[in-house]
Amino acid sequence: MRALAVIVAALAFAGPAAACVHPRTSLAYLEGQIMCPTCHTTLDQSDSDAARQIEAYIQKRIGECATAGQIKSELVANFGAGILAAPPHKGFDLLAWWLPLGGVIAGAGLLALGVWRWSRRREAEPVLPLDAATERRIDELLADLD
Amino acid sequence: MRLLKLTGQAVALVAVAGLLGLLVWRLTHQAHPPKIGGAAPNFTLRRLEGAGTLDLASLRGHPVVLNFWASWCVPCKGEAAMLQREWAQYRNKGVVFLGIDYHDVGSDARTFLSHHGITYPTVQDGSGKVGDRYGITGVPETYFVDRRGRLVGVHVLGPITESKFAHQFHAGLRAALDS
Repeated sequence: MRALAVIVAALAFAGPAAACVHPRTSLAYLEGQIMCPTCHTTLDQSDSDAARQIEAYIQKRIGECATAGQIKSELVANFGAGILAAPPHKGFDLLAWWLPLGGVIAGAGLLALGVWRWSRRREAEPVLPLDAATERRIDELLADLD
Repeated sequence: MRLLKLTGQAVALVAVAGLLGLLVWRLTHQAHPPKIGGAAPNFTLRRLEGAGTLDLASLRGHPVVLNFWASWCVPCKGEAAMLQREWAQYRNKGVVFLGIDYHDVGSDARTFLSHHGITYPTVQDGSGKVGDRYGITGVPETYFVDRRGRLVGVHVLGPITESKFAHQFHAGLRAALDS
């Protein structure tokens, strides 16, 4: 009888998890990627009613085995693309990812060019010969040091 | 080398001009509440229940009560039954109540409508773009549109369960009916 109870309890807990084809996502994973629409922070930084409602929706969908991608797609369909904390990696939104990187690379290139030009100018500067009096004075000072 | 220098200067100028343009665009596109007496900003939004969309302009010829709400909004729960009663009372006079579900999960909003027995049409403004055009600062908020599509009365900035807002609500309804 006890063994049967253990089996039933194990099935009760294992059942929902086993029903999912994919590994379950988590609220903790998603709440940093989803914005609260009324307070313009991510869900993990908001305690507003709207944020709590979206968290409850995410929890419900996780319980129904929805993947992170599915949940995000549903939220975008409901709230628009602004619900995502980061723009998607496709289409026009790709610019948001590549423009800053392009800016950093261009800046580094300009800096390298500037350093290269500066160092060449330093090399090209002529070394002026010392006049005879100064040269004699330096020799005297060096002799004093000896 | 001179060409490189000129190119660099041109790129820098274009970048600065672009940033300035963005700043000007942002400043000129900030949401301001529409003026009472002016045209109500038009919109086309998806119906919350049933298929299709609803266009505000299609209601021209009817006084319209625009009520912005959300299922997560506690004061909206309080005023829902009152709005339904008002709708039942005024619909025979040609008044259209239109709920605008603002920044809300659609399934929760439908549960809210069912729970509170709301029967007037409701549309979904999930992204909040229409709410932003109307200068919504929170929910619930209510506007009144007359038969010619102009905003009349006052912009009610709270639940009509409170006497101050209830007074504004009825004044707005009268203004929409009379003009």
